[in-house]
Amino acid sequence: MRNLLNFLIKYNYWFVFLLLEIASLVMLFRFNNYQQSVYFTSANAISGKVYEISGGIMSYFYLKSANETLLERNTILERQLTFLRNALKDRNVDSLEINRLAELSSNQYKTIPAHVINNSLNLVNNYLTLDKGKSDGILPEMGVIGEEGVVGIVYMASEHYSVVISVLNSKSNISCKIKNSDYFGYLKWEHGDSRYAYLKDLPRHAEFNLGDTIITSGYSTVFPEGVMVGTVDDMADSNDGLSYLLKVKLATNFGKISNVRVITDVQRIEQEELELKTKAQ
Amino acid sequence: MIINYIYRILWFVGLVLLQVLILNNIHLAGYATPFLYTYFILKFPSSVSRNELLLWAFFLGLIIDVFSNTPGINASATVLMAFVRPPLLTLFTPRDSFDNIVPSFKTIGNFSFIKYLLICLLIHHGALLTIEFFSFADIGSLILRIASSTLLTLSCILAFEGVKK
Repeated sequence: MRNLLNFLIKYNYWFVFLLLEIASLVMLFRFNNYQQSVYFTSANAISGKVYEISGGIMSYFYLKSANETLLERNTILERQLTFLRNALKDRNVDSLEINRLAELSSNQYKTIPAHVINNSLNLVNNYLTLDKGKSDGILPEMGVIGEEGVVGIVYMASEHYSVVISVLNSKSNISCKIKNSDYFGYLKWEHGDSRYAYLKDLPRHAEFNLGDTIITSGYSTVFPEGVMVGTVDDMADSNDGLSYLLKVKLATNFGKISNVRVITDVQRIEQEELELKTKAQ
Repeated sequence: MIINYIYRILWFVGLVLLQVLILNNIHLAGYATPFLYTYFILKFPSSVSRNELLLWAFFLGLIIDVFSNTPGINASATVLMAFVRPPLLTLFTPRDSFDNIVPSFKTIGNFSFIKYLLICLLIHHGALLTIEFFSFADIGSLILRIASSTLLTLSCILAFEGVKK
């Protein structure tokens, strides 16, 4: 017993070492979803399968309420459509009125100007820090655009600051499409050059030319449709050969970014509430 | 005694600010970043207790992490380096030297000092950059990054030592 105690006392720095390493690794895994997902790969394969099966079964029970919501939404849209048609009918000649109508519909999005106070380019996961936070109305998962194009998505917001996942981050994943054709894919950055990112999962039958403009698709509430992302610089086949892999020259110069705007979707809260309600039913 | 601690804390603050404000933004050829804050751990006198050194290393790494949005990465690498430092130091110290030395050219000899720095830095940078990449998918660029960053930090430290002399 005494020998054991002596042993423990002599080698107590081992415990301090392990304790500190564990503390730092816990911090690492709790903050960083990428490492977390790699670390828990085997566990995820099991729990993921379980969730997939149970979700597959449960989704049948929600079909009825989902149907009802869709129907409701359909009638609302139909009513809006007839209203807008009627409004357009007698204002065909006056283009000013039509412009005003278009402006009205884009009022869904409001922007908050902010300054970038910290920025990195060459890490695997790059973040930006903005000088505005919750008190200015910034919440996580809002889109951030610069003067030239897309910058990133808000990750965390404190009272007066917020951290943004820039496009130059392995976690960033933005739905984009080619302007004038509705083929879409998602934008991923492979670490390395900060001027280029890749558009993945674009179907093989999509038509485009080098130099075409890439814009956001507007499928999520983060970015409205049509925000500039970049231009097609080069094309290749994806690894599995099922889709195109486009090299995109980003419109935003991340090296000298300073003024950005955070996009807040006025109707997002309403939409999410509705979606939450649907889930709860 | 107190003076020693005040000096140490000044060094701590100075190196953290230097690292966070200037050196973290250096990427020579897109690969090499100097991690000069390790100098703080490398220059502890050999008489310091292992636990004290580990704690200093942890808080140093943690503060660097907080500033660079990478919780845990710098802390774990620096703690690892502080853990392997005492055996490495005894390995490179001449037998007949005094008990309490601060590692430098004068105290342990030119060649031994460079070897000591090189091995410590390789361990630190290797752990740091591997955790940051977290996969060996791109092992070529990872090794290139570790090697170039180590050489850059080493030359920074040697320049520092030269100026201090």
